[in-house]
Amino acid sequence: MIRLRTLQGPALTLSLLALLWVIVLVMLLALKPSVFSLGTMTSIIQFSTILALVSLGQALVIMAGGAGIDLSVGGIVSLSAIVAMLFVKLGLPPVLLPAACILIGTFLGALNGILVTKLTLLPLIATLGTFFIYSGLALALTGGAAQSGVPTWLLGWGRGTLAGIPLTFLTIALPAFAITGIVLVWTAWGRWIYAMGFNERSARLVGIPVDRARLILYAASGALGGAAALVSVAWLGSARANIGQNLELESLTAAMLGGIAITGGRGGVGGVLAAVILLVTLRTGLLQLNVNTVWQVGIVGTLLIFVLLADRLSQHWR
Amino acid sequence: MMNGVLTRNGREWSLLAACIVAIIVFSVASPYFATSGNAATLLRNSVELLLVGLGMTLLLAMGGIDVSVGIVMGLAAIGVGRALGADLPVGVTALAGPVIGAGLGLVTAAVVVLGRVPAIVGTLGLLGVYRTAIFVLLGGQWLSGLPTGLTDVLAATFLGIPVAAFLIALAYLAVWLALRRTPYGLHLLAIGNSEEKARLSGIPVVRVRFATFIVSGALTGLAATFYVANYRNVEMTIGTTLALDAIAAVVLGGTSILGGKCSLLGTVLGVLLLRILQNGLLLVGVPSLWQPVLTGGLLIGVLMLEVAAGRLSFPQTGWVRK
Repeated sequence: MIRLRTLQGPALTLSLLALLWVIVLVMLLALKPSVFSLGTMTSIIQFSTILALVSLGQALVIMAGGAGIDLSVGGIVSLSAIVAMLFVKLGLPPVLLPAACILIGTFLGALNGILVTKLTLLPLIATLGTFFIYSGLALALTGGAAQSGVPTWLLGWGRGTLAGIPLTFLTIALPAFAITGIVLVWTAWGRWIYAMGFNERSARLVGIPVDRARLILYAASGALGGAAALVSVAWLGSARANIGQNLELESLTAAMLGGIAITGGRGGVGGVLAAVILLVTLRTGLLQLNVNTVWQVGIVGTLLIFVLLADRLSQHWR
Repeated sequence: MMNGVLTRNGREWSLLAACIVAIIVFSVASPYFATSGNAATLLRNSVELLLVGLGMTLLLAMGGIDVSVGIVMGLAAIGVGRALGADLPVGVTALAGPVIGAGLGLVTAAVVVLGRVPAIVGTLGLLGVYRTAIFVLLGGQWLSGLPTGLTDVLAATFLGIPVAAFLIALAYLAVWLALRRTPYGLHLLAIGNSEEKARLSGIPVVRVRFATFIVSGALTGLAATFYVANYRNVEMTIGTTLALDAIAAVVLGGTSILGGKCSLLGTVLGVLLLRILQNGLLLVGVPSLWQPVLTGGLLIGVLMLEVAAGRLSFPQTGWVRK
């Protein structure tokens, strides 16, 4: 415990998350040892991919400050999947489905960015509005029906594994986290994001193009949502209007749990990935223990509140 | 003089005009719109949104927000429904709504005000918790076919006017008096303008914010009483889009989402306009699935217009003090 106390920032977050993860695993092991198989691990990571991508976008938007938040992430995932599939049905070559998903997501994210930066709308209201527009459109365009017709080669990628690890995780989620981590730590761009999140006025005064950077970050969050849509389509074999349900809550929880400060300017991507894996392990464990899925959203909500309260308390003690 | 009234209450007049235009357009477009039956449906559908909207007006004017109001109404409605089903006295049944609502408002206040958590994130977390609570309490089954006890009392007339109308007028009057005729109202608007300045000038910021979340909860609970009386069932998806509807109606009514400025009359007209649009579009054949798209679009559209008119400019600063 003394060692814990000397840890700081990201290292502290990561060790706490690892500790929590071990606790969850031990509890699961005690309650139901049969949970531990390669298959379970694979499905945990499979489930993680979508949440990881969305949480990464959420984390970036929050980190950049300016009361940044993206409540529309779930809507972006649903709508990009649906619209991309509808395009394919209208005659778009299926080869372009992946690109379509990501491009549509980027477009929807950029719309958020324009509302927030060019029109200076408060992010929480702007993205609350677009959340209902995007998820409403996904439902209204399809009447709630799943859109099938995903090419088989895409299913091979979406369901394939390498050494027990899903291909989607290896080829999209990991690179996205790695690239974002490198950008945040080693490039001027990354420093800008921290700077504008930490103190926006100073960031503007030293000449950082805050609005442009923020617009790009909302677009990036959209692009990651589009990538998550692609993963869902390739995995499930159809585009579903409800695939993004509760993602705003889950991604916020993952970001907060991963050590991103809601006020911006603090946190890293490693914690977010660890938090996503912790959340999904918890969810899979509950599923294995036959706990009704309606408990999941409540547990995630409780976690979010506790993390925020704990963050306040820790600042109080510091 | 007239000119002064027009500019001072420009928002209310233009909302009234928009309501009238919408009524005329839909009356022409659909033979079912301008019927007394539809008018009654429209008013009935507006009641719970109006009550929730009054609470949301106070919250937004204070610089707060609550996205869990729809589900809070659902939880209170379950309480009211259970009380109604158990044949408790009508007074107890009717009060169950506001009491449960105020209790849940207390929880929200504890998390957001005492925990110093941004309201949007805190209430989103509570939304998740409450959604599970609704599923667990209902156990996968709707409350339906509830007795008519509450409905009869609210529909009974006094001096030719339904009791329900008296209650709603009373709620409106109480909120108006609190906001415009008491120190509490001034404090609330001061906090909405600048929490920092309000604190420095000695306003009991924590107490006022705490009270406002409880008042909003109680109004939401009252909405639940009306909901149960009107529909006599509680479904699993109750209140899903109520928070969005309320925020859209209140912003439409001229309340600033940055706080410090609000209009209760604007909220009433905003609620009416929103419900007229939703009802009318349904009648001319737009599927109800499009409603969230319309409401979200309306919300953002109004804000864009306000920005364009230079009436609204958001400071690009962070959430809360660091």
